[in-house]
Amino acid sequence: MRQQLDTAIRLTLAAQVRNRLAWVLLVAFVPVWYLLIGSMIPHKGAGFRLRATGTTVIVDGHNLTLITAGLSAITLITGFVVFATVRRSLPFDRRLVLSGYRQSALIAAKTTAALAQALGIGAYAAAIMLIFWRPAGMWAIAAAFILGAATYAALGLLIGVLVRGDLEGFFLIIMISMLDTFLENPVDNPLANKHILEFFPSYAPTQFAAAGAFHHQVLASMAALSLAWTAAFALLGLAVLRLRLPRPARARPAAEPVPQPPATEPGTPLASPGSNRPARAKTV
Amino acid sequence: MTVLAAQGICKSFGRRRVLTGLDLDVAPGEMVAVVGENGTGKTTLLRILAGDLRPDAGTVTIGGRPGYCPQTVILDEALTVDQHVRYFQAAYGISSLARAGELIERLGFAASRGQRAGTLSGGTRQKLSLTLALMHDPPVLLLDEPYQGFDWQTYLAFWDLASELTAAGTATVVISHLVFEHKRFDRICQLADGRIQEVSSHAPAA
Repeated sequence: MRQQLDTAIRLTLAAQVRNRLAWVLLVAFVPVWYLLIGSMIPHKGAGFRLRATGTTVIVDGHNLTLITAGLSAITLITGFVVFATVRRSLPFDRRLVLSGYRQSALIAAKTTAALAQALGIGAYAAAIMLIFWRPAGMWAIAAAFILGAATYAALGLLIGVLVRGDLEGFFLIIMISMLDTFLENPVDNPLANKHILEFFPSYAPTQFAAAGAFHHQVLASMAALSLAWTAAFALLGLAVLRLRLPRPARARPAAEPVPQPPATEPGTPLASPGSNRPARAKTV
Repeated sequence: MTVLAAQGICKSFGRRRVLTGLDLDVAPGEMVAVVGENGTGKTTLLRILAGDLRPDAGTVTIGGRPGYCPQTVILDEALTVDQHVRYFQAAYGISSLARAGELIERLGFAASRGQRAGTLSGGTRQKLSLTLALMHDPPVLLLDEPYQGFDWQTYLAFWDLASELTAAGTATVVISHLVFEHKRFDRICQLADGRIQEVSSHAPAA
């Protein structure tokens, strides 16, 4: 089990880092996105409702937009990378399970790789933001980006195991991410402070980042809410993945020959000394 | 004694009944071809034998972990040949990669070991798929159109390998819509109307 888990984590990550489009998006899209948004949105005050404290604070609209723009970029990229990896590898995972790989090892490896992606992409997007803005609560923005990326990694996993075609999956991720992150920003959207937005996945990371960056507050409840979204998407996705992988065959000892009427002349024994043959039998 | 026994296999897709109570027994060291026209259920049968598809009724019993080479080559495009081999080493739980290395040499794609599957030619992908099916010395080998895309030298290397495996006791089931070399098989089973309709026997290949 340990060997299978280590191998699956290492090779899942190796496959993910070879996604060239994701690298291009990460290296080029994130800074360009910050630059574009930063150049278009002026440093004007915007009323932002911190729901956890029940107060409306006036924040710099430009800086708040950098936070929502960063969230928009990382949710898109993380969702896309994990979706593409999960969808592409599903037939291969089925073959591995048929060859003896444990479902649990593959599922644990996919989860670990998705979280590693979220950590890397979230931290990178926060680091790039320092070029444009250096808030005192930078740690909160970095943590919020990682939380948001983790939620969309889990969403990418869920869409990857549910959707049949690449295009449908990409459109779903793009539409969900754009709507979700766009609606949270009061500079772009006059309805941003409505209660309904509390039920959107990026609500909690936005609140966590804004509270830390503008109000020097740690909203632990928002971190927990974001993790709950991640857990819900991940559990659903992993449950569907488990259903879509073949069920392992029941084992029976190889020493017992299969009792069948003789069809042809008996052959040589099953296993020979030094061979790679595992001593197992299966019944479907 | 048989090493692979399928009994009363039924499978339908919607209203279309593909397999209707199929029986198939294969003994150790036997080489069996299952032939039939397009759409007669050959690939469905092999997927059921491999455990990739559940039959609606019937049982399959196999004495060990089979080597399965599906019709569509299933690889991870982003991984190299060597990474595939390491993945399947962990799947089969084998300690040595000597057999995998030998197969790669014999099938003639050692120069591609560091190449990603997505950049391999169709024939080399098929060779890798076959290596992954054979590298644990399976007691039963399930091959669906295994020599598609092979050049002549690889085709001959494949049959050399198959003969060695048969001599060592491996039971082999080959699915094909056409069988050119009848004498290589111990039995040729015609699949029609969801069952094995006709069985022709031949002397084992030398």
